[in-house]
Amino acid sequence: MVMEKNGSRVAQGSKKLIVDYDHCSYCGACVAVCPPDSIVLHDATLLIDAATCTLCERCIPVCPTGALALREAVDAAWV
Amino acid sequence: MQPGYDVVVIGAGPAGSVAARTTAQAGLSTLLVEKRQEIGAPVRCGEAVGRDTVARFISLDPKWISADVDHFRVYNALGDCADMPPLERTLVLERKIFDRELAHSAARAGAEVMVKARAAGFTQLEGGARGVQLVVQGEPREVRARVVIGADGTEAQTTRWAGLKSVPSLRQYYSAAQYLMAGIDPDPQVCQYHIGWSLAPGGYAWVFPKGEGKANVGLVISPDLAKGKTAIDYLNLFVDRLFPGRSVLAQMVGGIPVTNVLPRMVADGYMAVGDAAHQSDPLTAGGITNGMHGGLFAAETAIEAIRRSDASARFLGRYEERWDAEFGKMYRRLLRIRQALLKVPDDKLARMISEVARLDGRNMSLPKLVEIAFKTHPQLLIEVAPYFLGQ
Repeated sequence: MVMEKNGSRVAQGSKKLIVDYDHCSYCGACVAVCPPDSIVLHDATLLIDAATCTLCERCIPVCPTGALALREAVDAAWV
Repeated sequence: MQPGYDVVVIGAGPAGSVAARTTAQAGLSTLLVEKRQEIGAPVRCGEAVGRDTVARFISLDPKWISADVDHFRVYNALGDCADMPPLERTLVLERKIFDRELAHSAARAGAEVMVKARAAGFTQLEGGARGVQLVVQGEPREVRARVVIGADGTEAQTTRWAGLKSVPSLRQYYSAAQYLMAGIDPDPQVCQYHIGWSLAPGGYAWVFPKGEGKANVGLVISPDLAKGKTAIDYLNLFVDRLFPGRSVLAQMVGGIPVTNVLPRMVADGYMAVGDAAHQSDPLTAGGITNGMHGGLFAAETAIEAIRRSDASARFLGRYEERWDAEFGKMYRRLLRIRQALLKVPDDKLARMISEVARLDGRNMSLPKLVEIAFKTHPQLLIEVAPYFLGQ
């Protein structure tokens, strides 16, 4: 199902922004480039708000370690 | 009744600690909060600063100085290199100790310093004061502040709460990666800069000596030019070429806005400083002493605002004016230089550095460099020159 969210078209229920915690160094580089502010860095925790993430993918090339990716949300191993 | 402070500073990096120290020294009640469990860690920085500039803020101390550098050496991807005198003598820091010393100096001046204390939001109170919701060691706590200084870094949330956040374009944002490497024995007096779009697209790589055979080996790239590779991928390629098989003692990564400062750095009862305000230099992304200046200017403005009981955005605008007087013109130039450099093709960039490398150090002069730029890529001069002639 495709729907409008924060002005972007989002394929709801198909993809999701996922953090690979084996790569993430909690540097927060992704936070500054996220237009809807869906990513928050606490001390050593990176939180992604899937409800506001527009899947714009700006954070993906910015991540120095390649820890962010869009994955099929149905892949339970990644959720 | 909430405990009240004149000033609450969020984030205990160099910008935040200088701000807190300055307001505490002026006799204002000051709280400095750091979300991490340890001030100074993790390091996300190349650690090079101008020696005289940093000495304006803290007495030089060997315990946080890893190297004292009097030469810059600029390389192209072919390995040709040219020696340049730095604008000022440069120190390579041990940030973990440096940051802690600065926070200590804030504490000595009378600021209350807390770690594992993150800000979770603001409220606007009557009379322009702000309530700051903190989570201190897991416990929610609210404090009042007449002025809040947001020094919460690249990942700042205070700018968003204050309505000032602006999202940089990927061209104006560096993705950075660095290793602290052992057993490479670089010249302890030299900072190396490696320039070439194939090795660091849109950015540059560096080797900064850290003493005892160690060095910070790192790079920044422009994510939109990276062709699907990450900063760590480019760093691994660079290290494999220059220092294959050497040990890595630490890995540091981060993101740095190179946009020039936020269009607005103040709101009612609030000022942003350091990386939160995008105060890193928009060419090299150096941000330590720039952020410390931001912290100082904001703190001095806060002192005056509290003295006059006026912490309105209008009054705090003096901080922006002060920043602009000191750094505005230089930052607009640096931004322009980077934009012009990005248009120089890789082969011409390499040729420019090869030509400069052929000059004897004594023959290095600005007219000579201009001549080389004119010979290899005149467009660069056409784009940059107006910014040096008056503007």
